[in-house]
Amino acid sequence: MSAPTAPTALANKFLTAGIAGLAVTALAFGFSENQQAVALAYLVGISYWTAVCVGMLLLILIHHIVDAGWSTVIRRQFEHGLSAFLWLFVLFLPLLISAWVKPGLIWPWMDLTHALHGGHGTVASDILYQKKASFLNVRMFTGMTLGFFAVWIWLSARLRKASFSQDADGDVKWTFMNRKTAAFGIPLTALALSFAAIYWMKSLEYHWFSTMYGVWFFANCIRAGLAFGVMITYWLYMRGDYKGIFNTNQLHCLVALAFAFVVFWAYVTFSQYFLIWNANVPEETFWYNIREHGDWVWVGMLILFGHFFFPFLYWLSYRRKSTLRAALFISCWIAVIILVDLCYNVLPVMKDAHDQPLPFLSLHLLWVLTSVIGVGGICVAAYLRSFGTAKIIPIRDPRIRESLTHHEATAPETYQLEAHS
Amino acid sequence: MKKNYGIVAAFDTTPALYQACMQVRDAGYTQWDSLTPFPVHGLDAAMGMRRSRVPRFSLTGGLIGFCTGMSFIWWANAYEYRLIVGGKPYFSPMFAFPVSYELTILFTAFATIAGMFLLNRLPMHYHPVLKAPQFVRASDDRFYIVIEASDPKFNPAQTRALLEQAGGKDIAEIEE
Repeated sequence: MSAPTAPTALANKFLTAGIAGLAVTALAFGFSENQQAVALAYLVGISYWTAVCVGMLLLILIHHIVDAGWSTVIRRQFEHGLSAFLWLFVLFLPLLISAWVKPGLIWPWMDLTHALHGGHGTVASDILYQKKASFLNVRMFTGMTLGFFAVWIWLSARLRKASFSQDADGDVKWTFMNRKTAAFGIPLTALALSFAAIYWMKSLEYHWFSTMYGVWFFANCIRAGLAFGVMITYWLYMRGDYKGIFNTNQLHCLVALAFAFVVFWAYVTFSQYFLIWNANVPEETFWYNIREHGDWVWVGMLILFGHFFFPFLYWLSYRRKSTLRAALFISCWIAVIILVDLCYNVLPVMKDAHDQPLPFLSLHLLWVLTSVIGVGGICVAAYLRSFGTAKIIPIRDPRIRESLTHHEATAPETYQLEAHS
Repeated sequence: MKKNYGIVAAFDTTPALYQACMQVRDAGYTQWDSLTPFPVHGLDAAMGMRRSRVPRFSLTGGLIGFCTGMSFIWWANAYEYRLIVGGKPYFSPMFAFPVSYELTILFTAFATIAGMFLLNRLPMHYHPVLKAPQFVRASDDRFYIVIEASDPKFNPAQTRALLEQAGGKDIAEIEE
């Protein structure tokens, strides 16, 4: 088996789209009256693609730590996805620079002279800020963000090196190396993604408390990783690379995992809401109160029904979990809803004169779109560039045979055969 | 007179059984079964079996569980004995949700087990194949196909011929 033909033309298209998206976002930032809106939209775009890549990283780490079998065939594609981390870091730099050059533009607590609404003084005189000041300061923010990317890039490099080297020499030591990487990589990644969610998104409203926030972001990361995993699977099927390699049983496993995380996401997101609703403490409830203002209440409903009930009920039947088209449809839907979920968490920080959030449906969504296309174009191009450098599956992985013949002792039915023919 | 239950044929290897199952399936039989000492992957496909209907029981159980949780909490707190707890409304799906969700899981599990027993007609203390002494080996090292006399396509001579042609050994009729 040789390496697949590199999709150079496709990579260039995505790269062009990415650069165009970034250019439009930069122009919007330069000329817009509301620079904060463009910057927040860019933060959503970066966070979204970081979630996708962290999800893929976690799936690889979990694969290695539990010595999984069936997922060996899809693992290589996630490894290609990890090549985007370096670019995500580069693309995050403008946000870091803004923290030093124009503190308070994105994260209000960075500007100590920022006046709180209703004559409650400034950030510096705010007891809730003072108590958190050793954690929430620009130096910590910068150091931690550099740390997150260092962890992700370092782990990705180790995993990729071991996996690609094994293709050449078939040495089982690479598998053991990956297992060790997974053992310390999982807690490191978990900490990094939790703190990233807290610093980048949660601290936008630093008065707020929630112990579920990191887990909420984790759930979205895994869901995003799996959603893009299904899309990649579909693409490779259409290209012909996966014919005879990826079968119904592997697809069913992949989608069943995504289905499990639909429930997990709902569990943690509901828990966050329920605990705050039940305790009814003003320091916590205000976060949801501002999200019940204007059209944000409908965004909340869209997330409740679109992020949980719809994928849950749609994927409940075995048939829809084991046909590629149904899996693809919901995966694309989930990929969009995760973006809405991030918008719901980030954008209401923009307030009008009455301290109420600016509406969801506005020109700001355009900048969210250009940011997502901008950052995404670069990330997908990085994946496609990496795609041509290694074989389509890790052919010398000790588990590859088990993975290729993975079977759950269930009968393939005619509709499944049709979907795969 | 004892009624005929069906015809049994023995096979020595899994591939032989697998091939034979496909032939019996293609001949259009519906009331038949294969007996093996261990699960054979893909045999259900070779036998032309549909997927299990147990999930329908599971879904029904889950829905009943969810509705039970919601309606019971509503009945207890908002109807039968109105009680304000923690300044919350008499009824809200918020606080009813954790309990409803647990009952969904519990009732789904009950319905799944019950559905499995029902569809397999368990507990079954007697089965005609137990009468044939050779069946001891179905739990050891041999594979069997039993075609029941109740099958609409069953014909003692033709069915026997089919099993012979499929490579069956020790073909015998068994009593009800």
